[in-house]
Amino acid sequence: MERQTLARPAPAARAGRRILTAYLFLLPALLLLAAFTFYPVMFGTALSLFEYDVITPPRFVGLANFRALWTDRYFWIALENSIKYLAVVPVLQGCAIVLAIWVHRSTRGLGWLRAAYYLPVVTSIVVVGILWRWLYDDAGLVNFILLRLAVLHAPVHWLASPGIALYAVMFVTLWKGLGYYMVIYLAGLEAIPPGYAEAAAIDGANALQQLRHVILPLLRPSILLATTLSAISALRVFEEVYVMTSGGPVYSTYTMFYYMFDQAFGALHLGYAAALGVVLAAVTIGLSVASFRLLREGGLSYY
Amino acid sequence: MQNRHTIRRSLAVLLLALLTTTGVAAAAPRARVEFWTISLQPFFSGYIHGLIAQYERAHPAVSIRWIDVPAQAIDQKLLAAVAGGVAPDVVNLNTEGTVRMAQAHALVDMDGAVPATARARYFPNIWSSTRYLGSVYGIPWYVVPNILAYNQTVFRRAGLDPAHPPASGDAFIQAATAIKERTGIYGFMPNVDGIRFLRVFQEDGLPILSPDRRRAVFNGPDHVRLLAQYVSLFKRDAFPADTLQRGYLGATERYAAGQLGMLTTGPQFLLRVRSDSPDVYRDTRVAAYPLGRGRVLDLPTMALTVPLRGRHRAEAVEFALFVTNDTNQLAFCHLVVIFPSTQAAARDSYFTRGGVTPEDQARAIAAGELGIARDLTVVVPHSDELFRAFREAIESAFFGRMTPQQALDWAVKEWNGKL
Repeated sequence: MERQTLARPAPAARAGRRILTAYLFLLPALLLLAAFTFYPVMFGTALSLFEYDVITPPRFVGLANFRALWTDRYFWIALENSIKYLAVVPVLQGCAIVLAIWVHRSTRGLGWLRAAYYLPVVTSIVVVGILWRWLYDDAGLVNFILLRLAVLHAPVHWLASPGIALYAVMFVTLWKGLGYYMVIYLAGLEAIPPGYAEAAAIDGANALQQLRHVILPLLRPSILLATTLSAISALRVFEEVYVMTSGGPVYSTYTMFYYMFDQAFGALHLGYAAALGVVLAAVTIGLSVASFRLLREGGLSYY
Repeated sequence: MQNRHTIRRSLAVLLLALLTTTGVAAAAPRARVEFWTISLQPFFSGYIHGLIAQYERAHPAVSIRWIDVPAQAIDQKLLAAVAGGVAPDVVNLNTEGTVRMAQAHALVDMDGAVPATARARYFPNIWSSTRYLGSVYGIPWYVVPNILAYNQTVFRRAGLDPAHPPASGDAFIQAATAIKERTGIYGFMPNVDGIRFLRVFQEDGLPILSPDRRRAVFNGPDHVRLLAQYVSLFKRDAFPADTLQRGYLGATERYAAGQLGMLTTGPQFLLRVRSDSPDVYRDTRVAAYPLGRGRVLDLPTMALTVPLRGRHRAEAVEFALFVTNDTNQLAFCHLVVIFPSTQAAARDSYFTRGGVTPEDQARAIAAGELGIARDLTVVVPHSDELFRAFREAIESAFFGRMTPQQALDWAVKEWNGKL
């Protein structure tokens, strides 16, 4: 009897040990997260309450950085541009869904297409930026084709017109992100059993009705994921702008991340840049919560 | 028995070896001086390695570690290094970078660190390039006055005489518009991007600040007229639309592609044209920079600075003085069209000799201009905020958001609120 208790621990102890094992498995990842995510997040948040220029020790200034934001015209310009940049999200998601549905059919040759759409995703953003700078040039390919097709009468300064530059940069984000979100939607489509669409077809639904009433509702979890991810990356757009327009002309592509970068590494106002980061994080969190509220239900599970 | 002896003996030898090596290390701890330069690889690697080898031979207690940083990355890398407690000991910065770091109290005051006899070797006006609030924060290394490079084939196609390039600011603009009208190729990309209009004003003899430096004064009628002239050139498509964003890099690229008639640039960029497009290089002629009404030439200065956080300050200053001494600067000037900051080196007949290649001609031309040259970098407190407002005003004028008068009035008001 006694020997048996020794060999087989009580249920409570067994559960405790299982939890311990689980945490031990999690430990390496948690340590990495703590070092490279949680610590910087906390440090950055705390930094927003300080004046810090790297060289002299930080000085506590309370909420002064946030008060200064309120009257800083470049903060509002940057915030406005970043929010405008969100317009890329619905267009990008719509295109990615259409593309995914198209390449989902397993006809021969589509594998190549999938790979081709994915190629921009794995290309370095700096290379993409330089490439598109050439394409957008006055004598570049985009203008050349549009002039040849007689759509335009004179070349458009895509990256050098204050009213157009932001949208030209957005298009590059769209072009580069398309393949990534297409893959997310492909995975979502794979998970939908073909029976649903067949049943709808038997009931007499045409392709458009099937898409609207069957496929899109079932894709909702993927749409939620992809929309949230792409909204977050739209708010923190930086590289495209840095390579293609450096924030100009007349600050029309000056985004929050660009302003943070300028304040931190151009002007050495690291506390102020951290405050900008906190505001951007708040906007991002708000947006993510909103998209979860809007798109939570749907998919294959019943709520 | 025999065996144990061998073991004991070899242990003793090992111990002895350990002792001697640590002993040597303790006797002569080599000061490791980290030396950062801007974009000198790969063209000048040999020269810098030579300097370092020579210095290390003469100073066995010092070892130099050379790191070359791209121009766009130097600010961030330097900050990261300082913040991480691994600041380099000697850093090459331009005037703007030096002043920005000096404003953050990150640099050693060179008026104090360099003995008066050594200071006297440099041109006084160049030594003062990095003066901020009364102190100098960089030992001047080399200076690169702008010259005019032009494509003689484009000149001929436009009906201009390659033997008579434009000699004044007005003639320069005339030639540029003629090239654009007659060939369709842009004549020039004026240096008006970012805050470089501050230099354009000064080149035309117009002041930026009041004499006491407490007020901005760049909204006078002459300032407005000058800006309006460039705005109307821009509206007439006399220079490319991306001029305001691409700056000198865009201009060099366009010139090297044969798509620009004239290039006002530091002569060191000829090297890039030579390696990128030999055809255009063969067609390239050089002339003196077309001076504006101010008859003054900008003299961008490269300085060697010593961060306060560096660990070997004395060695760092000494090494910086070695790099910038007469002999070493003269040797550097033999490799590329740059000019020394020290007076004895500049007197060398090499600079006035001339020659056949564009580089040799550029050297002789620029040498003749050094007398009227001065670093036109505007040094003001809160420079990031003032420059951001200035850039916005200039771009607003170019893109028709404001008239030149409104734009300059607004920028002056912004400046005066912060000066």
